[in-house]
Amino acid sequence: MALSRDWMYENNGGTCVAIAGADYCVVAADTRLSIGYSIYTRDYSKICKLTEKCVLASSGFQGDIKALQKNLAAKHLIYQHQHNKQMSCPAMAQLLSNTLYFKRFFPYYAFNVLGGLDNEGKGCVFTYDAVGSYERVGYSAQGSGSTLVMPILDNQLKSPSPLLLPARDAVTPLSEADAVDMVKDVFASATERDIYTGDKLEIVILNASGVRREFMDLRKD
Amino acid sequence: MGDSQYSFSLTTFSPSGKLVQIEHALTAVGSGQTSLGIKAANGVVIATEKKLPSILVDETSVQKIQLMTTNIGVVYSGMGPDSRVLVRKSRKQAQQYYRLYKEPIPVTQLVRETAAVMQEFTQSGGVRPFGVSLLVAGYDDNGPQLYQVDPSGSYFAWKASAMGKNVSNAKTFLEKRYTDDMELDDAVHTAILTLKEGFEGQISGKNIEIGIIGADRKFRVLTPAEIDDYLAEVE
Repeated sequence: MALSRDWMYENNGGTCVAIAGADYCVVAADTRLSIGYSIYTRDYSKICKLTEKCVLASSGFQGDIKALQKNLAAKHLIYQHQHNKQMSCPAMAQLLSNTLYFKRFFPYYAFNVLGGLDNEGKGCVFTYDAVGSYERVGYSAQGSGSTLVMPILDNQLKSPSPLLLPARDAVTPLSEADAVDMVKDVFASATERDIYTGDKLEIVILNASGVRREFMDLRKD
Repeated sequence: MGDSQYSFSLTTFSPSGKLVQIEHALTAVGSGQTSLGIKAANGVVIATEKKLPSILVDETSVQKIQLMTTNIGVVYSGMGPDSRVLVRKSRKQAQQYYRLYKEPIPVTQLVRETAAVMQEFTQSGGVRPFGVSLLVAGYDDNGPQLYQVDPSGSYFAWKASAMGKNVSNAKTFLEKRYTDDMELDDAVHTAILTLKEGFEGQISGKNIEIGIIGADRKFRVLTPAEIDDYLAEVE
């Protein structure tokens, strides 16, 4: 649907995933930008670094997403001027929630996943809806391929219920390398069946040593 | 007072470059009851005289030292009602900060915002400056902190400070007694001794108020019984 006065949104597609570990966080998104059944570009980053410890990946209407990223970056700059330090990831999570709800009656068409390191250095992932409802989780997927990705992540990463008898151990902690491999696998799978996901995968890894970026090719069809 | 012909309007400076209303506000503060604060190595103490206008006043209903947040407390010298308005505004600002960042507001940020409010009232039409100076005591990730905020909106961090009637004697006393490695209990004793210096009449748990905050980051006002215990230790 083209932009007009009564429909001001577009969906540019794409999938975003994040996985939190004991001392790292992996945030990944494909780089395809679509409209309808066409591709605008195969090389568009949906991932934005907000602070040294906090990265935002968003899928949906990239026009709104660009505005949202600018909004958050500006608020973060003011915070740095006033506090003489960067915002923590949980604080940025709350700020994003408030920023989204502020436009409750004309929402940002953005489906966000925020990933980073919390105040103790542990990985954290926050997942959002379009109007700011959020929750801290161990892993999440948003976007056009999220329904294909989430069941796989649940199968691999979900903790067994504490109500089970006999009691089962919590999931063994995932290493950073295993998390990156898992992300590559789920994207390869999502690319097979979701037409809006593909071209290239961008992976951002945050840990105590800083921020690292990796790329992987995906199917271009 | 050669400047008085300019003191009817806040938006004009007097020829000497002063904002006379602010000078008057500081005079109001200077004639208020003495209050003081001391920053220790592991906490902060603030204290004030609580002289009531008559023995018929129910002193248990009066509380001059108040909480701005669970880890920040405040005492004033000057006009009580003005202080209540500021405390109210500051509490709201602290809560708004929490709603935005889900983190308790740092002491420096709350002091800055409170000071900004006080400055607004020196530059807006139809209002007068607040007739109080505040001593803000808090404990956050940067440790124990003590700030003084004046009617002009300027604020300073102090290791120890006093305001109100007996300010010069009290400050001299504090300068002699203050050490950087004081513990909170020592600071409370020193605060009591400083109040005692200029106190008219018999000092007791009923006519002074003391608030403390330690490494537990919970600001609380001492009960009269606890104050009496400290007084006994001092004597």
